[in-house]
Amino acid sequence: MNTLLDIQNLSVAFDTDDGPLHAAEDVSFSIGHGEVVGLVGESGCGKSVTALSLLRLIPIPPGRILSGKVLFEGRDLLHLPTPELQTIRGRRISVIFQEPQAALSPLHTVGAQLIETLQLHLVLDHQAAKNIALDWLKKTGIPDPEERMRAYPYQLSGGMLQRVMIAMALMLEPSLIIADEPTTALDVTIQAQILDLLLEMKSRDTSLLIITHDLGVVWEMCDRILVMYAAKIVEEGPRDKIFTTPAHPYTQALLESAISLTSRSERLSSIEGQVPSPLSYPAGCRFADRCKFIFPRCRQELPPLYDVAPDHHSACFLCDPQRGRN
Amino acid sequence: MPPLLQINDLKTWFPIKRGVFSHTIGHIHAVDGVSLTIESGETVGLVGESGCGKTTLGRTVMGLEPKKSGTIHLAGTPLWPARHKDSMPLRRRIQMVFQDPYSSLNPRMTILEIVTEGLIQQKLIRARDRAEAAKRLLHEVGMEPSGLHRYPHEFSGGQRQRISIARAIAVRPELVICDEAVSALDVSVRAQVLNLLKDLRASHNLAYLFISHDLGVIRHIADRVVVMYLGVVVETGPASDVLDHPAHPYSRALIAAVPVPLGEKRKQNILRGDIPSSASPPCGCRFHTRCPYAIEACKAAPPPLKPLTPTSARLVACIRKNEI
Repeated sequence: MNTLLDIQNLSVAFDTDDGPLHAAEDVSFSIGHGEVVGLVGESGCGKSVTALSLLRLIPIPPGRILSGKVLFEGRDLLHLPTPELQTIRGRRISVIFQEPQAALSPLHTVGAQLIETLQLHLVLDHQAAKNIALDWLKKTGIPDPEERMRAYPYQLSGGMLQRVMIAMALMLEPSLIIADEPTTALDVTIQAQILDLLLEMKSRDTSLLIITHDLGVVWEMCDRILVMYAAKIVEEGPRDKIFTTPAHPYTQALLESAISLTSRSERLSSIEGQVPSPLSYPAGCRFADRCKFIFPRCRQELPPLYDVAPDHHSACFLCDPQRGRN
Repeated sequence: MPPLLQINDLKTWFPIKRGVFSHTIGHIHAVDGVSLTIESGETVGLVGESGCGKTTLGRTVMGLEPKKSGTIHLAGTPLWPARHKDSMPLRRRIQMVFQDPYSSLNPRMTILEIVTEGLIQQKLIRARDRAEAAKRLLHEVGMEPSGLHRYPHEFSGGQRQRISIARAIAVRPELVICDEAVSALDVSVRAQVLNLLKDLRASHNLAYLFISHDLGVIRHIADRVVVMYLGVVVETGPASDVLDHPAHPYSRALIAAVPVPLGEKRKQNILRGDIPSSASPPCGCRFHTRCPYAIEACKAAPPPLKPLTPTSARLVACIRKNEI
């Protein structure tokens, strides 16, 4: 599978009154054509910041992209002049934002916003754009789409707005869709329709980066999974390996604490303790305080990503091939 | 002995007002004839899509919304008396934990004030014993007493939800209504809070009315499940039976739509379209507009909630329940 997007050593910080807050550190991964990659982790681990930084969508300042490259078809998006970047945003790489209420303009009808997006990127007259927009609204399963086109965002429920956002992101048929918690606000029945729609996009060779904390969604959608913890990627690998033989203790704990319809256990296992503050990360492994396998080296050094297999990496000293030899 | 909570044919309608004179032009039938009992120490899970009336049902039981008709009894006493004085002793026995741990705690009150306000109002402790009581409560929900004089914004979502729980159990209630109490929390924190709720249920002999759209959470905590659709109950029964072998076509569709890690692929084309408007619910069976098994007779009359088999604890509101 050839690479569509290649992210190398991306680091992002936000300036705060208490000093720089490192939201993403040394993040590297790639997405192939038609590949679905899942980015999972708890709130505040940096998964949304990572995804939004790819298109320079974080507020700068206070945000700062400290280093790294985001190569899309050979061009570095982090250093592309803004007008050129605008031809990629929405058209080639689109984003489904987490909060549709905040992402849509309250002063324009849903239809006007969909049509504007289409006319901005394609040469289309009003009627043609309207037909495309209507068609996509129908595909997202919104009841009575003609009526909804004339509605303002405040007149629609959260679930409907989310589907408007999804229609907006899909209708230009981009090469890559970044979906930030696309179905978190939706009921399972609507979620099922949206997941089917996204899978249909995948079958047309569209790549997807899905940010979520719902492991059921990840299992169903993704080919490959990235696990983030405290601003770093701690594990990366194919879906089946991550779910059946997770290598990093954090991934193991996360999977154990997941509640699913099929689990029978009386008591849920949970991860004790809390995520360290992003203003002062410890020198060693950031999961050390909550890890049940901790040994002295974990406190001293930050573990790099070790190869568990050629396609499976884990940032844990337990996976160090040199371990025990010296 | 009467059950802890008995709800009979409860209706909660909201008026739809239009025009300069705010004429009432119709009603949202949020809860439209629900009957339900909760025994002492029992956990009942209430599930359904957004807009099905599950939150309104919880709020009506709490007295936060006025009911249109029907009865609610707490251990034989009707809820809610008109006079404030009469309702106070009842309020002690029934408490609530809300969904949003950010907006459900007063930002201007310290944790000490938040968790002991009920105790003072109910005159269960004297003001000078406040700190002692608050420390004990924080300990019960697994928090450090050092947080007593801090404000809600200094805590994470999971900790705030623990504070909400401490506030709810402070007055030793018999029933706690949890409205999506863990939905806003991360996976690992959600597990911690669910375990806490289970521990408290055992140590305080609490009954829960647990409202959630997350069927995994319900399977984990509930003894019995009630499935609601458009303001009415379509199926009820022991949690494992309903979730493993749902009988009503709506329960089936709802459960089939949940993606499960390591599970089979979801079935395609499970349920299309949205929940119809509760201002004018469909005639007959309310689910007939989306039901794959609907026949002409389904449109004629609302199906009664009947046992699945003559001896079964499962009640299903579907006229074709035994043929599909």
